Amino acid sequence: MTRFGELCAIEPGLAELRASVREFLRNDREEFGWQPSVDSWLRGWDGAFSARLGDAGLLGLTIPERYGGRGLGHLHRYVVTEELLAHGAPVAAHLAADRQLAPGLLTFGSEEQRQRLLPGIARGRLYSAIGMSEPGAGSDLAAAQTKATRTGGGWILRGTKVWTSGAHLAHWMVVLARSSPLDTERRHAGFSQLLVPRVAAGVSISPIALISGEHHFNEVTFDDVFVPDADVLGEVGNGWHQVTAELSFERSGPERILSTMPLIDAAVRGLASSGGPDGRTTGEIGELVARLISLRQLSISVAHELADGDDAANRAALVKDLGTTFEQDSVDLIADLTGELDEDPAIRDLLDTAWLHKPLFTLRGGTNEVLRGVVARGMGLR
Amino acid sequence: MRGPLAGGVFFVSAGDDDAELHRLVDDIGRRAFDARLGQERRPEQFDAKLWHTLEESGLTRLTTTPDLGAGAAEMAVVLRGLARHAAAVPIAETDLLAAWLAKEADVAVPDSGPLTVALADAVIDGPRLVGVAPYVPWTRAAAAVLLAAETDDGLYVGLLEDVHIDDGSNLAGEPRDRVSVDVTLGSLRRLDGFVGEELRRRGAVARCVQILGALDAAAELSVAHTRERAQFGRPLSQFQAVQHALAAMAGEIERARAATTLAVAAAVDHGFAAQQTDYAAAVAKVVVGRAVGPVTRIAHQLHGAIGTTAEHSLWLATTRAQTWSTEFGCKAEYARRLGRMALEAASGEQALWDLVIGNRLGR
Repeated sequence: MTRFGELCAIEPGLAELRASVREFLRNDREEFGWQPSVDSWLRGWDGAFSARLGDAGLLGLTIPERYGGRGLGHLHRYVVTEELLAHGAPVAAHLAADRQLAPGLLTFGSEEQRQRLLPGIARGRLYSAIGMSEPGAGSDLAAAQTKATRTGGGWILRGTKVWTSGAHLAHWMVVLARSSPLDTERRHAGFSQLLVPRVAAGVSISPIALISGEHHFNEVTFDDVFVPDADVLGEVGNGWHQVTAELSFERSGPERILSTMPLIDAAVRGLASSGGPDGRTTGEIGELVARLISLRQLSISVAHELADGDDAANRAALVKDLGTTFEQDSVDLIADLTGELDEDPAIRDLLDTAWLHKPLFTLRGGTNEVLRGVVARGMGLR
Repeated sequence: MRGPLAGGVFFVSAGDDDAELHRLVDDIGRRAFDARLGQERRPEQFDAKLWHTLEESGLTRLTTTPDLGAGAAEMAVVLRGLARHAAAVPIAETDLLAAWLAKEADVAVPDSGPLTVALADAVIDGPRLVGVAPYVPWTRAAAAVLLAAETDDGLYVGLLEDVHIDDGSNLAGEPRDRVSVDVTLGSLRRLDGFVGEELRRRGAVARCVQILGALDAAAELSVAHTRERAQFGRPLSQFQAVQHALAAMAGEIERARAATTLAVAAAVDHGFAAQQTDYAAAVAKVVVGRAVGPVTRIAHQLHGAIGTTAEHSLWLATTRAQTWSTEFGCKAEYARRLGRMALEAASGEQALWDLVIGNRLGR
């Protein structure tokens, strides 16, 4: 094993896994005909694909074998995720369950919850949505007002969540709610995480259309929904710690860099086959690729540190800030670079979709402004 | 971030095999910096006392002394650590370039003292080789000047006696002299042209590592200054605009550190001649070069007027970072190189994505 191979995540062990993902994708696409998409982790909801991926043993990589997973390391999951995203595969159905719910259950969940939910996640059959933002609580998540009130054998949930991706299709929603009244001195105290089935009585879901007309976001209202004690995730009152505990993984992952990779790939292929661009264009392609490679290096270095249990919170926040900014910039750069190519409907379609989606890149999962605040705190400035 | 380039504003402790070397270099660099405080000026003076200390500590010929068992990683620790303290010694030139090239060409060079390489464009005129090395580092300080003359017929290497020097300096004031060459071919060894390419690649990686040290210094100074300096009744660091500027600076530096770490790893694992190192060096040159503009601009902006003065040490970091980014090839040249690799990958069997992940290189 070489250090170079390790930094590139191509060393033996990961290389075989990578090859098996590629083989799966090649065969699956040939048989089922899905098209590579930009932002496929929001757009590409395809439960059948997720199920096939699960059957191929490419989901639940970090879930222990006794819960139906593969029992492998964080870097294994990283490699599978980045291959799926780079190839524009439709991963939206399982993404939140695999990325957030599974680690949450493993760290904070009860044994009964793990046995009940993890096998379905690993098989690509169980999907979840994340209920965090509210009409009055965006970047300032601690302003959330959805309330969980104690009742016999459980909690009564009341409130509204917004921008909840895939809530209309997911089986479960992980809802962050206030389980004790706001203490203005300790705003982050008194939150709990509740698992709520989409079909629970009192849950109503209405779509919020994106500029493109696509329906991914929802407004979800909880009108006195009963949540049994068995569906409280982790400890009552520990919700804030639980939702922030895994943030470094979420902020530094390949999905913060690769949302436009299918566009970049198609555009560079188009330029290469157009008879070789001039020196200036070649240089611009080189700059774009250098930025991408360096961001991936930063992201993988954080992945290694997180896998070793180190605190990489500051650099994880940097990955999201820089990575999503790159994703946005890449759309304009590719538009410039391909402007003089003969009209190619496939590239045009990727470009248009990317343009309509790119404002989301630097918003979702915490705005970049909030992240820069995190970085500043890490530098000892606040 | 761990590894030979560990450091920067988020860094807690090295905690790895290199920790002791990190501390030693930092200590030596800091003492040299303190000793020169207030005397720095353009052009720079060679720091003979520091050189002596480094030689005594066995740090001047790390990669070219087989018994030391040290390589590019240890060298990177030394280069970054000394650059962070704006050391005025040609350590990269001595070990990574001149002593290495002398071995390749089987040319004897002095065992001690600084060395430099005169990289020249030359033509062969009968029995003589004639050319100019326009930009030779630290010629007057060097115990020996090794000529590396690129010709149509390969690379010619040999010691230069009786050198004609026109003194010059780079933006930071480090000596960069013009050396005229007119020597007999018989005094030189001929090597393949690719050795010249490796020489440039070594120089490029060394400068990236050094730039990282300078950028780390600029960031440390900026954090310290904005915490001390108060305006409108509070420290500058309390203003959100200032915090975001510092975060942007840190982002550029950490990205540059990640890219350079890969280049050093490639050199350690595969050598400077390898395709992996060619690839990673190109990435580092572009990314580090890209970082210099925003980092130095923000550092000066946050320092205000005091940062533009000769007495403040900010310029030692910012001018070095800027001038080093132009040495051993500019970033545009490396960007085109990488762009060609990308276009080739995209049109051939190796997909662009494979190039992005560093796959299938060196086969």
